[in-house]
Amino acid sequence: MGAVDVKPEAPPTPTRGPKLAPFIVDCDLHHIWHEIDDIFPYLPRQYVEQIREFGPMLPKLSYTNVPNILGYRSDLEVKRDTNFAEFTVHEHLDPYQIDVAVLTGGSVYGVVGISDVDYASALARAFNDWTLDTWVSVDPRYRMTLAVCPNDPAQAAEEIRRLGNHPAVVAVMLPAGARHPYGNRFYHPIYEAAAEHGLAMMSHFGGEGAGVTNPPTAAGYPSYYLEMRMARPQIAQAHVVSLVCEGVFEKFPSLRWLFIEVDTWWIPGLLWHFDADWKALRDTTPWVKRLPSDYIREHVRVGTQPLEQPPRREDMAKFLDWAHAEEMLVYASDFPHWDWDEPRAAAALIPRDLRPRIFGETARELFGL
Amino acid sequence: MGGENGVMVFNVGGSYYALRNRCPHSGGPLGRGVIRPHVISNGVGHFEFEREAEILKCPFHNWEFDIATGCALYDPSMRAKTYPVAVEDGQVVLTLG
Repeated sequence: MGAVDVKPEAPPTPTRGPKLAPFIVDCDLHHIWHEIDDIFPYLPRQYVEQIREFGPMLPKLSYTNVPNILGYRSDLEVKRDTNFAEFTVHEHLDPYQIDVAVLTGGSVYGVVGISDVDYASALARAFNDWTLDTWVSVDPRYRMTLAVCPNDPAQAAEEIRRLGNHPAVVAVMLPAGARHPYGNRFYHPIYEAAAEHGLAMMSHFGGEGAGVTNPPTAAGYPSYYLEMRMARPQIAQAHVVSLVCEGVFEKFPSLRWLFIEVDTWWIPGLLWHFDADWKALRDTTPWVKRLPSDYIREHVRVGTQPLEQPPRREDMAKFLDWAHAEEMLVYASDFPHWDWDEPRAAAALIPRDLRPRIFGETARELFGL
Repeated sequence: MGGENGVMVFNVGGSYYALRNRCPHSGGPLGRGVIRPHVISNGVGHFEFEREAEILKCPFHNWEFDIATGCALYDPSMRAKTYPVAVEDGQVVLTLG
């Protein structure tokens, strides 16, 4: 009609239905850079020059994950110049009345595969500073995980001591791809620093088989992305079992560990089998003083996404009971990825009396919110 | 007194105990197990030993039983059947049933 195409200011986003729980924490909200250039202001000169000449050198396996613009769902109208921190407030936090969203990153999971641990540590530091300036500053509901390079525990601990007292920092992120299972004492300086600062540890699927990390399965490399997704639970289980057997929770009694995007179906079977075998083999690791399920139920939490979808809906309540969902599961959306769990759809699978715990209370306890 | 329903008599430092030769967990022949100390720890990587020769490990699944009480050390719901044993006039007397 008119010659001037003025875009009207968007009205406030309406909420999408009643609030699902008194306090809602989303434990997996991805935030990523547009281009690696975004973190150049926070990166030492030599690495900026190296990246300009050689590219990011962030290893990853080539699977068909995160399609479209920067992994955003195809129904989300984003462009490369969208301010994602603001977009996420209007698209996700406001409509679902989310009280706290934990930024889980994604851009630098690959640091775990970089052979040069100084470069890897610098990338993690720069990403953290960029996160504070471009996301945390946008909305008080954002909390962040600290990116660190797990392969240099001393520098990782230093980074925790640099930023661990910032009120927005709630956890330290170690991608699930690793050079050793995370109970290994190589990593303990990281846990010591996290415990000192009252921070949770978190592991998100990522970095497996990339660069210097171990293959995603002991059988070798999956060929396809569907196949790779099915590897997540075994990776998580290897870490959980290692944390218990290496006595991490005996050494660091206040430490809590949240695993994200690793499925949940394995929890009951692992707890049952782990307890049974501990009764047989306890005297070979006598520092594991309690039932493994006791340690796991006290110290380990698991994100709900991707929430299980049993063929018979009525089996869900039984499964959640077996998985000790009231103490172990925390809601995680995985926004803005295609395979996210929309909050209302997730809630529909969770019995009403469990929702306050899963959607908020357990995470509040975990992160001290 | 072997066999599946036989009875084992133990002499632990001069005290006598008797257990049924059948594991309450999954029916293993307890009498073919191994007599062990209780292995404990005061820190990751450290092993300490206490209660020397007071623990019986079943050959099926390696569960640990307290010879004196028949109780599984790490599963309070499991206990091997015990029988009274006394020493009378230099004779070990086992009371069955």
